[in-house]
Amino acid sequence: MKRTLTAVALLAAATAAQAQDKVTIEFAYPYSHLFDVTYEKILPKFKEQYPHIDVQMRAAYEGYEDGTNTILREAVSGNLPDVTMQGLNRQAILVEKGIAKSLEPFIAKEADFAKEGYHEAMLELGTFDSKVHGLPFSVSLPVGYYNMDLMKKAGITEYPKTWKDVVSACKTMRANGVSNPMFWGWNITGNWFLQAMMWSQNEPTVKGNKVNIDGDAGLTAFNTMHTLFRECEMKNLEWKEALSSFATGEIGMMFWSTSALGAVERAQGDFTLKTGPFPGIEGKPMGLPAGGNSAMLVSTSDDPKELEAAWLWLKFITSGEGAAEVARTTGYMPPNKAANEIILKDFYDQNPNKMTAVTQLPLLREWQAYPGDNGLAITQVIYDGIERIVVGDADDMEEFREELFEEVQELMPANGS
Amino acid sequence: MGRRLTGYWFTAPAVALMVLILIAPVIVAGFLSLTDYSLGNESANWVGFKNYDKIINRSTYQKMFSASIIYVLVVVPASVALGLGAALLINSLKFAQDFYKTIFFLPVMAALLAMAIVWEFALHHSIGIVNEFFESGCGTIAETIFSFGWIPFVDGAETWYGRHCAAGEFPLWLRDKGYALGTICFIGIWQAFGFNMVLYLAGLTGIPRELLQAAEMDGAKSGWERFRLVIWPMLGPTTVFVVTITSIRSFQVFDTVEALTQGGPSKSTYVMMYAIYEKAIKQNLMGIGAAITIVFLAFVLIITFIQRYLVERRVHYS
Repeated sequence: MKRTLTAVALLAAATAAQAQDKVTIEFAYPYSHLFDVTYEKILPKFKEQYPHIDVQMRAAYEGYEDGTNTILREAVSGNLPDVTMQGLNRQAILVEKGIAKSLEPFIAKEADFAKEGYHEAMLELGTFDSKVHGLPFSVSLPVGYYNMDLMKKAGITEYPKTWKDVVSACKTMRANGVSNPMFWGWNITGNWFLQAMMWSQNEPTVKGNKVNIDGDAGLTAFNTMHTLFRECEMKNLEWKEALSSFATGEIGMMFWSTSALGAVERAQGDFTLKTGPFPGIEGKPMGLPAGGNSAMLVSTSDDPKELEAAWLWLKFITSGEGAAEVARTTGYMPPNKAANEIILKDFYDQNPNKMTAVTQLPLLREWQAYPGDNGLAITQVIYDGIERIVVGDADDMEEFREELFEEVQELMPANGS
Repeated sequence: MGRRLTGYWFTAPAVALMVLILIAPVIVAGFLSLTDYSLGNESANWVGFKNYDKIINRSTYQKMFSASIIYVLVVVPASVALGLGAALLINSLKFAQDFYKTIFFLPVMAALLAMAIVWEFALHHSIGIVNEFFESGCGTIAETIFSFGWIPFVDGAETWYGRHCAAGEFPLWLRDKGYALGTICFIGIWQAFGFNMVLYLAGLTGIPRELLQAAEMDGAKSGWERFRLVIWPMLGPTTVFVVTITSIRSFQVFDTVEALTQGGPSKSTYVMMYAIYEKAIKQNLMGIGAAITIVFLAFVLIITFIQRYLVERRVHYS
């Protein structure tokens, strides 16, 4: 009897000790349809290396806007997670408001941080006030998705190089009985493709406190969209509908982020899918905005053990095997040299569709944020504006540009503030 | 004196709760609506009536008002009329009353958000059951009937059904500016009329049989006469209640819009509740969100006052 009691006591002590060593960190990420598979792969690997850290996944954010918003709200109500994944253009606001913590103290403690494969240009995307706040996790670029069967049916053998080529391809396809030839991803977070059209002409969308759409570049961007939507008779599909319609083989050409490649391939029907470079306005685009997200530390904990655990998780998913899983499961590129060049050496040879974005990397430009409190509202205004072109509400592009410029500019912070 | 104080003490908990839960938040909202407070900021600037000025002058908010008002003006009469009609029909049945009651009441009980997902599938442009149904009718007798070509002076190929059959394409119900609000209204009616039906059924049981028999003896032989002279006036109080409740609930429409259209396309379904949600919750702009809330409360208050006025005018024949 006595012996059993001792055993029980010992056992209890042991579990208590174990429980003490166990650290739980909370984590949240956007776009579950893209990333669920990724984290399912990463988590067991992390667990193997750090069995004492328990990563709890919070409900996924619907998109980047929702993610930023949720963090802002949680900061007010005081239930922030420890690590959050944020859109590359939404990091600034969290740094400004003091919610995201600087990662410098952790980086300083790492003996050979540079060897992990983070290189300057990539870290740049998450650096504010010359302090690293976010570690990029996945980077994407816009590409063209082509249903080769439908293209062949219409007698098209070459990828369109400019938007004019796309329009003529649309017409040939429609003439050959493809009723839904093209979908253009204007609705990706509302403004990413607008920035793509601007960078294509080597123009930023935001210049200081001014939105740069009032010039010729803006007009060209809107005119190109107008021609594309009207001439191709593009349907106003919701993005999930568009992805599923393309995956079932209904749509001939889809211009979208490379990020969805993994999801589309998993759902793909019986047709040959190829990706090609993003068309330009006259010839090759001069630049394209980087999409994607980065990991930020937003923990409010004072416990050094918990912070350490959060850092280990952050580092694990953005380097080495963790980062390599991003490329394997999605269409994103891991912004980590080591993962790209060593672990994934053969991967891109075997997956040429995922290679398209990598070849476009020299065009990579910043995904610009809209300054001030109205950042999310501006995104919505641009979304609503472009939707007006899509549904045929706006036909005079000069007038449209004027209206949109005024409406956005008014939401930008006043000069000097 | 002591007695009067006791009275106050007894009402104090209720009054305190009312102030805390109802009045204080409205005052806070009213205060916020005069600032540019954005969630997460440490402070806010006083902007006076600038937010209200925006609500009145911006085309976005004009679209918001027109969407809300059209929704109310379509859903209220339609769901009240359908509710009354269904109630009268069910009331006249000899059997299976409970069966029909259950069926018509089902949409009210079902979670609207879950139902919205069902609608989303049903209205899908290519695999949805609605468009498939229309397409299957093309080229058959159904097209002949529903393109109304059989009515003199109507060209079957020019009517809605005829044109869409010829094009081989049916609308994107939720993504087409011309159809989205109508579709949302339809779902609203489908959801609301069962509730109105139940209220009317309750109202109908309150009409004494003797009145109907007396009317019949006095020469109101047809069913329509009896309805016009007895049933409809006796249902007066029920109607006032039903119309008020339906109006307020229609102003509050949110879940279908959030689940199906998100206020689009081109703000054609941007109803007030959704606007509040978008500004205050999605974009963290508390100032403008609070201002829309205050305007919204004013609308609800007006409806309530109209109801009180009508009730006090004694619609009731007691």
